[in-house]
Amino acid sequence: MVLMVVLLLVMLGFSVPATLQAGEITRNNLRFVDYPDFPDAHSTWGSIGYSSVHRKVFVGVTNHRDRVGLFEYDVTTERMRLCGFIPDLANLRTFQWQGKIHSQIVEGPGGEMYFTTDGGESREEYLMNHPHGYSGGFVMKWDPAVNRLTNLGLGLQYESIKDLQVNPRTGLICMVSYPQVRFLTYEPSKNDLRDLGRLGSDHVPRVMFSDWWGNVYYVDWRQRLVKYDHEQRRLLFARDSLPAFPGTPGAYIVTGITAYAVDRKAGVIYLVTYGAKMLAFRPSKEGIGPVEDLGGIFDAPGQPPWRYYCPNLAMGSNGKLYYFIGGHGMYAVKGENIALMEFDPKTRAKRIVLTTPLREISEVTGSDVKDPAGNLYFAGRRDDPDAAKRGESGASRPFMIILNPERSLR
Amino acid sequence: MKPLCKPLLIGLVVVLTIAVAVQGEYVFFTPKGSYTVEVSLENSALRRLPMYRNAITSLEVVGDFAVGGTSSMPGLSPYVFAVSLSTRKLEFVQDLGELIPGQRAIQSGFGRGQKGVLFAGTMPDQAGGSGHLLQVRVGKERLEVVDLGAPIKGEGVFALTASREREELYGIAHPSGRFFVHELRTSRTQVFDETVPSPKQLGFLSNYALSPSDFLARRLIVNREGTVFGSMPVNRLFRFDPISRRVDVISDELPEVWGRRPLGRVDAWAEGPDGLLYGGNAGDGQFFTLDPKTGRVTNLGKPIMMPRIKGLAFAADGTLYGVAGGEPGYTHLFRYNPADRGFVDLGNPRFTMTEPGIEQGIAWRGFQIGSVAANEDGRWIVLGEEEALSQLMVFPAVD
Repeated sequence: MVLMVVLLLVMLGFSVPATLQAGEITRNNLRFVDYPDFPDAHSTWGSIGYSSVHRKVFVGVTNHRDRVGLFEYDVTTERMRLCGFIPDLANLRTFQWQGKIHSQIVEGPGGEMYFTTDGGESREEYLMNHPHGYSGGFVMKWDPAVNRLTNLGLGLQYESIKDLQVNPRTGLICMVSYPQVRFLTYEPSKNDLRDLGRLGSDHVPRVMFSDWWGNVYYVDWRQRLVKYDHEQRRLLFARDSLPAFPGTPGAYIVTGITAYAVDRKAGVIYLVTYGAKMLAFRPSKEGIGPVEDLGGIFDAPGQPPWRYYCPNLAMGSNGKLYYFIGGHGMYAVKGENIALMEFDPKTRAKRIVLTTPLREISEVTGSDVKDPAGNLYFAGRRDDPDAAKRGESGASRPFMIILNPERSLR
Repeated sequence: MKPLCKPLLIGLVVVLTIAVAVQGEYVFFTPKGSYTVEVSLENSALRRLPMYRNAITSLEVVGDFAVGGTSSMPGLSPYVFAVSLSTRKLEFVQDLGELIPGQRAIQSGFGRGQKGVLFAGTMPDQAGGSGHLLQVRVGKERLEVVDLGAPIKGEGVFALTASREREELYGIAHPSGRFFVHELRTSRTQVFDETVPSPKQLGFLSNYALSPSDFLARRLIVNREGTVFGSMPVNRLFRFDPISRRVDVISDELPEVWGRRPLGRVDAWAEGPDGLLYGGNAGDGQFFTLDPKTGRVTNLGKPIMMPRIKGLAFAADGTLYGVAGGEPGYTHLFRYNPADRGFVDLGNPRFTMTEPGIEQGIAWRGFQIGSVAANEDGRWIVLGEEEALSQLMVFPAVD
């Protein structure tokens, strides 16, 4: 029987890890959904979010050059649809090219979905004010009720915007710019943009997250939590850095948090750091709140514990955390495979659920994107050898991943 | 394949892949021996400057100490601080609000007096307030800041320099643009109106939505002959002869990009080994020389495609280092040596910051740099950031 399962998984493109301990999550718990009507789609970059009002998942997909498509996946009908391309929807001119959506796609007070745009290439960072350069990242709002995109304007001239969060009550937007790591707030109702200053060193932490009061969190260069206190309208800095493994290189420290998942019932936000720690953060309304170190996201004897790349995380209805490790040249599993992990925050036990070769999944992004049925959504990519042969840099093809740890999606 | 060969081969492939990828990116200016000192950090038990009060807008090196004067956000007060270049630590801090309430910025630059004493001016927090003159002395044990009073009531001190020999301070008042001389021995201040823009000029400047902070001289210089040089609206240079006590407008204007005269003003000065004055025109970022004897201005061009040259300093080997550009882009460090290759754009400097809690070191990239100084023997160049949390970046200019 075990042999049959192994053969079946191999046939489906998965290799079975030596540490597979349980067979309850199989390929049948996963489903891959392609993005239609975008033949040169290249990648996705954390640009995924769920609308609880409209019961749809939204994904920003890019050709990684100058064309970004906005897609919606209807959870009820299980259909993926191209809403349109950003330049057309937002009436952008050619000099206002956008390389990608790097931000999460975040639900606002009225069910609108907010995101920001990103230059995404060296020409953004270095050409800057040159006529071939970048005119800046925009804040945008998609209203699923009427299928309308509203361009809310630039953040900073020449700067990309890597991520945002939206206060679900007031609509205040917090965002972070690239490459200068500037923390911005924008109040659409007043057209009030505030630059609260640079918080990082030479690398921009990619992820912001919110608590249930609408406060937004980021990190500084010491990997200390920085809270935008919504009521006081100012930044609060934690006194201590987030836990890190001894010997974690500085470049890993300054890159901060790569993914999060919210357990509202337990009052915990789980964080994954670039230094491969799993943390449990318990926000407090006043101040910031305690952080508990749950250990590493992956254990491999003889390997540096900080060197695992994980830009994704979600919590299943079973109370366990799920994440895919690997990407950007850092892989946990021998032979450069992506590993789907399960982490029980109560026991801190973790296990490899599945591994896949890069031709199946090469990198996965997305934080805390789930629906009430317990489906977890991720933005996936797979290596594209044909495009790579043509010299396309980082060639990949994007698709959406649905994972339901508790039921078959087949 | 032997068991060890495969991991080695994979490692080699990874290294080569990374190397190829890195070749596609820019190489940062990170000379051996460079470092960043963490000067600013919010909510810390360490001695640090708090957020929004630390933009390093004035900078000078005295002995082992880099001395900074900061600018703050409205409603907050600035600091004077000193970083030891040997310990690489922020050693002394003086909250100016404890000494002179109601001041927002020390943006004048420092003038050097006798025995390593520095002088600077302040800008008031509120319009109509009075800026003060400061005397700063740093030693191994302490940083001493003395209030020398307000030179002109109701005006800030926008730019300042000093004559060691004459024991005089020379400044530009804000918002009027008046030039003033303050005698340290008598505490008397003499004011000159020749540098003040006329009503017609103010009307012209207002067509470009410019305020005095945009068009007044950001820096003054005293050359080796004791003559003071600065800029004045519109796009002009002036000199003050301390003997005759006369202000003369120099006939050559600042280098101009056609149509952008109203933006012209001097952002930074440095006196070269050849006695020429090297300057940066804020308006369009032109680098120029002024011959102090003839008044001839020579346009050396623009180091980069952005306005502003906020800092210049000569290293011991005669190479000039400067910072060009800034908001809404970011600063490029450049060097200039006419005997070598002219301009070399060094881009964003990136130096390692090693501090308690980050002992392994993190890379610090300088985006907004507002001040540059060389130490007294010209072997080190110090860069001061202008950020919400600003740091000090240091590199060896000479091997």
